Parts: sequence; C-alpha cells; structure tokens
Amino acid sequence: MRDKLRKWREDNHRNSEQIVDVGEELINEHASKLGDDIWIIYEQVMIAALDCSRDDLAWTCLQELKRQFPGSQRVKRLAGMRLEALEKYEDANKQYDSILQDDPTNTAARKRKISILKAQGKSAEAIRELNEYLEQFVGDQEAWHELSELYINEHDYGKAAFCLEELMMTNPHNHLYCEQYAEVKYTQGGLENLELSRKYFAQALKLNNRNMRALFGLYMSASHIAASPKVNATVKKANVKYATWATNQINRAYQVSYARKKFNNRLKLSENMVVVDVVSKPNTTKWTALSKVMINSKH
Amino acid sequence: MAEPEFLLDSNIRLWVVLPIVFITFLVGVIRHYVSILLQSDKKLTLEQVSDSQVLIRSRILRENGKYIPKQSFLMRKFYFNNQEDGFFKNTKRKVVPPSPMTDPSMLTDMMKGNVTNVLPMILIGGWINWTFSGFVTTKVPFPLTLRFKPMLQQGIELLSLDASWVSSASWYFLNVFGLRSMYSLILGQDNGADQSRIMQEQMSGAAMAMPADTNKAFKAEWEALELTDHQWALENIEEELMSRELDLDGMFSKELPMGIF
Repeated sequence: MRDKLRKWREDNHRNSEQIVDVGEELINEHASKLGDDIWIIYEQVMIAALDCSRDDLAWTCLQELKRQFPGSQRVKRLAGMRLEALEKYEDANKQYDSILQDDPTNTAARKRKISILKAQGKSAEAIRELNEYLEQFVGDQEAWHELSELYINEHDYGKAAFCLEELMMTNPHNHLYCEQYAEVKYTQGGLENLELSRKYFAQALKLNNRNMRALFGLYMSASHIAASPKVNATVKKANVKYATWATNQINRAYQVSYARKKFNNRLKLSENMVVVDVVSKPNTTKWTALSKVMINSKH
Repeated sequence: MAEPEFLLDSNIRLWVVLPIVFITFLVGVIRHYVSILLQSDKKLTLEQVSDSQVLIRSRILRENGKYIPKQSFLMRKFYFNNQEDGFFKNTKRKVVPPSPMTDPSMLTDMMKGNVTNVLPMILIGGWINWTFSGFVTTKVPFPLTLRFKPMLQQGIELLSLDASWVSSASWYFLNVFGLRSMYSLILGQDNGADQSRIMQEQMSGAAMAMPADTNKAFKAEWEALELTDHQWALENIEEELMSRELDLDGMFSKELPMGIF
C-alpha cells in the first residue's frame, strides 16, 4: 500500500480520490506500522483531501503535522493551502507573506501566491507576478510551463513561444514540448511560422515516432504551406512531398490500429469457442480508398 | 641483503593490529555523527540563488541553443552579451571575500572542522603510541630507507632493525587513511569522517571563495557565450525523418511505454 503511495508521490500523479481512500485507511488502521513514513503520507493525503473537498481529513492531517513539526515552513505552506481551499485568500496571502519574511528564497510560498491570483481569475496580475518570479528564479521549469499556459489563454502566442523555447532548451529530448511549441507557431500563422512549426512537428516525430498529434500537425502545416499562394514551385513541391509522406504514415498507423482491433475481437470470440483462429490480413483496400477520398476533398 | 624473517607473536596480531583497526573505525564513525550534530545551516541569499540559476541558464543556452530557432538564440545572446545593457556586462555584484576575520560564521566553521578532525587524531595517535609501545606491529610490503626509521619506529631503539618494520602508531595512521573507502561504503558519500577530503578542502578552501567568484564567473560566461555559434539542429530534419518509415510498434496498446523525457 505505501509503495503505491510512494509511486504516486514520485510520479506526481493527481489521482486525489484514490490517494484519499488509500491514505485514510492507512492512517486510521495502520498508523503504528508506518513509522517515520507517516509524516510524508500525512502531507500527501492532506493535499489530496483538499482536492476532494474533504476538509475534515485535511484538518486532522494538518493538526498532526503541526504537533510534530511546530516551526516548519513546509507545514506553514500546507496551512496556507488549506486557507486557499476554503477561499480565505486574504488569510492565505498573509500566511505566505510571513513565510517569505523568514526565508526570502522560499519558492513554494511564492508559487502559491501566484496560484491564488490565478484562482481569483486575475490572470494579468498573475502573469506579472510570475514574470517577476522568473526574473529571479530563471531555472524553474514548472513556472515557465505555467507562464506559457497563461500566455496561451491570453492569446499572446509570441511570448508563449518564448517560454516554450526555454523549456525546449532545458529538455531537448522531450517530444511534448516540441509539439506544443509547433502548435503555438502554427496558431500564430504566417509563412515563416508555418515552416518553423513543420520543422518542430518533424522534430517531435523524430523524438517519438508514435506521436499521432505531431504526425497530423506535420500534415496540416505542410499542406497549408503548399496551398499558400506566395510560395515558389520548389517549396510547394517539397511540401506536397512531405504531406503525402505524412498521409502514408497516418494510413499505416490506422491499419495497425484496425489490425489490432480485429485481432482483439477474434481473440475474444475464440476464447468463447475455445478454438484459436488465425488472424486474416486486414482489408487494406477499403481503408486506402477512404483516405484518398479524404485527401482529395481537402485540395 | 636478505633480512631475517621475523616471526611475530600471534598475540600481537590479536591484541594490537585488530584493536587499532576497530578503534580507528569507531572513532571515524563517531566523528561523522558529531559533525552532523554540529553542522550549521547555510543560509543562501536570494541574490546568490538567482545568480547561480542565471549562470545555469546561460550554460544551457550555449549547449542546447541549437534546438531553438536562430532568431530566438540571437535574442537571448543579445540579452546577455550586449555592449550597453547586456546582463553579464552590467551586473556587478558587491564582492566581499569571506576571510576568517570578517566573516564570523566561516571562523566557527573552521574551528569546528579543526576540533572534530585534527584534535581526535592527535589525541588518539598519542594514546596508541603510549599504550602499544615497545614492539613492532607490522611490516610494510616495500623496502624503506633508513630515514624513515625515527618516524615509523617510535619507541623501538634497535639500530639494525629494517625500516620496513613499523610501530603501532604508524599502523594507526595507515588505518586513518585506509579506512576512507570503508567510510564511503558504510556512511554514504558525503560523510564527516573523511579526513583527507576535509584537509583538501581546507587547503583549497582558504583560497577559493564561491561568492567572490560571481563577477569572474559572469566574465567567463560572457566570453564563452561570445564564442558560441548557432548551428540549427533542425536544418535538414524533414529529410532525415522521411528517409525511413516511422516505427509504429506498440502504438494504441494499453500499456504505453514511458518515453525518455
């Protein structure tokens, strides 16, 4: 049980309902057997309880932690989070300010203050505060990602692209950042941005061959560039080539999925009949014809 | 010259060699825990944290700049290195080299370091010398010159004795240095019983002071960044990608393998 909790903690899963169920049982029944683990489980369960509106459980966890660690900054931050959950934003802000007075380098308290602003809907102020935070703590990747999300919500795609570039530099092998950057560039529009987005979709595909969104993105951006009136013939030809390659890959992917589905169905049937059948080749001609119709209707 | 092979009393082995090993080891472990207890918290100022992160960011820009478009790379390089208002050109930090006189916390740290490490070594070395004196303990496996005799054979007045035969005090010192690797095995890497590491730190630490280097670090980063060029990694990416079919193994399966992020 506590291995599961530990795995959720390390992977940063947000399955709060499960954590509350498991954690509550652990705390109530097996408190003695947990030893020193119990404090971190209290913290984990408390945050999950705040997510599920279980204020009673959160209060008990907080009391236990306060009793054990009376002067701790970490516990103060949890108390502030509870106030936030109860929507007492003024008190929560005061709590975080007191933490920051003691320790100006405490990043957790600053981030909670910004999330208060976000919860209140003051996104412009949240953006400003987050910018100030990032001026001092340039290395905080979570914060860069949050800022890019805020900018996307405000439709300020240029600045969102800047934030995602920071993330791409620090995590060059993460295909999801490449893909998100490519999507932002695609949304910005304009010929250079479309070319950039095509390149970054390709990069995302190179990093992870199975990224379906990137494949579709590649196809869309290539066909848009090919269809645009401003390009010369060579560029157009190249892009058409890219687009057709992308469609071939998409076809293949759907065939894989179709074959797998057929295989799974057959397996279920045969399990009932207690006879294992051999899977026949999927009907490919039907699918390729369908996709050809789809593509022809676009151009 | 063939020296006579001494046969040492096996009592020596039982009652001298092994006890000295145990004593050294236990004293080391105790030193480790005492140093943990006496450790003072290092308070970092906001400026230090921020500076260290800026240096990391600029280093990442140099290393991974090839993954972002040329325009963005130049924008960031300009921000850091511009002649008039670049960050590295303009930011001068007030530098106070933390010498032991001006910085009281450094002084207490040095004191604690000395007390926990050097003092026990001297005390126990002397005690062992006094207790286990008057006989040879062991023989070092390589020949030594006569110069080493007074050093290694404290308390044994035999002029004809080979310098390879050493007394218990030298066995103690041998242990102090030899058990270092044992400590890292048992106590984990950063343990307080590691004498030689601390002595190294003391020798170089007096000269090197981290905060004072911020200005120098900035200057070094400025130079390094001036030299870096932008080689876009995505120049021919479409050709590379389309040279072969995508590897769609395991797509749409229930257990998605976690990609390497």
